[in-house]
Amino acid sequence: MRDAFFRALAAAGRDDPRVWALTGDLGVGLFDEFTRVAPGRFLNVGIAEQTLVGAAAGLAYAGRTAVAYSIAPFLYSRAHDQVRVDVALADANVKLVGVGGGVGYGHLGPTHHAIDDLAALRALPNMTILTPGDPAEAEAATHAALAHRGPVYLRLGKNGEPSVLPAGHRLAIGRAAWLRPGADVTIASVGTMLPTALAAATELERRGVDAGVLHYGTLKPFDAGALDAALARTPVVVTVEEHSVLGGFGGAVAEAMAESGRPGLLTRVGLADTFAHAVGSREHLLARYGCAPLGVVEAARRGLARCRAVRAA
Amino acid sequence: MTPAPTSVAARAHEIRRLVVEMALAAGSCHIGSALSIADILAVLYGGVLRDLHGRPDGSSGDRFVLSKGHAASALYAALATVDILDPHDVVAGYSQDGGAYAGHPERTTPGVTTSSGSLGHGPALALGLALADREDGTGRRTVCLVGDGELNEGSVWEAIALAGHLALPELVLVVDANGWQGLGAVADVTDLEPLDAKLAAFRWDVATVDGHDLDALGTTLAAAAPRPRAVIARTVKGSGLDFMEDTFMSHYRSLRPADRERALASLERRRAA
Ligand SMILES: Cc1ncc(C[n+]2csc(CCOP(=O)(O)OP(=O)(O)O)c2C)c(N)n1
Ligand SMILES: [Mg+2]
Repeated sequence: MRDAFFRALAAAGRDDPRVWALTGDLGVGLFDEFTRVAPGRFLNVGIAEQTLVGAAAGLAYAGRTAVAYSIAPFLYSRAHDQVRVDVALADANVKLVGVGGGVGYGHLGPTHHAIDDLAALRALPNMTILTPGDPAEAEAATHAALAHRGPVYLRLGKNGEPSVLPAGHRLAIGRAAWLRPGADVTIASVGTMLPTALAAATELERRGVDAGVLHYGTLKPFDAGALDAALARTPVVVTVEEHSVLGGFGGAVAEAMAESGRPGLLTRVGLADTFAHAVGSREHLLARYGCAPLGVVEAARRGLARCRAVRAA
Repeated sequence: MTPAPTSVAARAHEIRRLVVEMALAAGSCHIGSALSIADILAVLYGGVLRDLHGRPDGSSGDRFVLSKGHAASALYAALATVDILDPHDVVAGYSQDGGAYAGHPERTTPGVTTSSGSLGHGPALALGLALADREDGTGRRTVCLVGDGELNEGSVWEAIALAGHLALPELVLVVDANGWQGLGAVADVTDLEPLDAKLAAFRWDVATVDGHDLDALGTTLAAAAPRPRAVIARTVKGSGLDFMEDTFMSHYRSLRPADRERALASLERRRAA
């Protein structure tokens, strides 16, 4: 996803003289192409994230489209007041690009994990949150973010994610996408968890359960209509996110389900109100905290069993 | 278990050797950042920090705050030289799936004062610890180590200004001035020289020292002052691995098994010198 983002960024920098790119001392070699095609519009502000976001907002106030790049937690968490006041409150044309959303920087530990970004940023008025599910969608999301006027948080994985979306897939801000229909249970996933959701659906199929996969490439604005369509098919929904289960994607789905007026039963897969203290790669941590495909399968099984129990009662 | 090193030089060598073993085992980066502070840690853990295993009354001794948390392997190594951690354990468990030692220090690890890894937190935390010690009248010192790139963070300067204003003699700030940061030379990003004059202007007692001269480090780090004390340690990133020394890429390169021989040979040459 990271490489896809940088490809799109360079293309945008070449085509649009208003595009600026700022970094907080990260992305070695990755801005070379942008610097070549957009000379004078790149700045490393140093290890100073509050200045990164504040300066991006200043550039935006002066008519630029400012992209601020860092490892996700240093961007949204360290500079949260700048994000809140200078960017969101001002409805500024700043694109916040966080790399390593979730536990992408596995071994580096909890300081480098972004497990509360969706919750923190979802509550900010004016903020659009893009959560691509694979590299091609990350490239499309970058272009969409730059074309959109106003604050955007683009949550990227680290790098090397598999391509899983079909060739004809089109990202539209605010629209979730059905990747497979399912009559028994809906697996709703956000961003980087898409491959996990698809693998879980395949495994469920093997076990005789017809699972649909609904992918949210945008978290905000939240596509409640797609969720309503899911509930019309099956009341059982499993959310899958590389994030705390509190306040992020599972939270958004819970709110929409409660307001839909339809019967529904939700099981959330994600970090169960814990930091990922264990040491290991992203894959190791996802498995360790119940977020691997088998964890999703198990959550679906629990949801279906509860649904049967409620109906029988 | 390897016997605890007896001289500061032997301790410095052991820290470097363990850092290299951890890097080889984990295939991880940040070796340059860990090696640039090996001598500083050898001096701190070789006598400057008092009562490392706690005081007779059960309270803790002098404290060390590693603010540049990406050099965690050097801290684990130093703690292994004073028998707080086990050297085999740290090599086997550093940055490994299911291991006990993350790429950045966590406070749950014995001997680790603060979780770090998000740069710029250490100075304020150290200030808080020093305030508590002033209130308790313990005479305890808190030593905080920051990177020179880390000095970009505004939070570092907020704490520097406040500690100077409060005239906290319990606080020591060591700057690992290796000249490199994430995207290049510190001087090319935000040049803070003359750094000594800036710190002095914030009412700190300032000393500059060769960060690889063990004797000079010992004297400078142990010296007391009526005010907070800043030690600017001029260091070489990757110090000890001659094929990485003072290079930008020593931040990102990892050691491969094929590097083992020349890495250990380089450390031996360094020890003999
Ligand atoms: C708040 C924050 N921003 C960015 C980073 C990413 N990062 C890790 S190390 C590093 C460079 C550090 O340079 P310096 O402080 O000089 O330490 P050195 O590696 O040279 O010892 C950066 C930018 C981080 N860990 N924390
Ligand atoms: Mg440095």
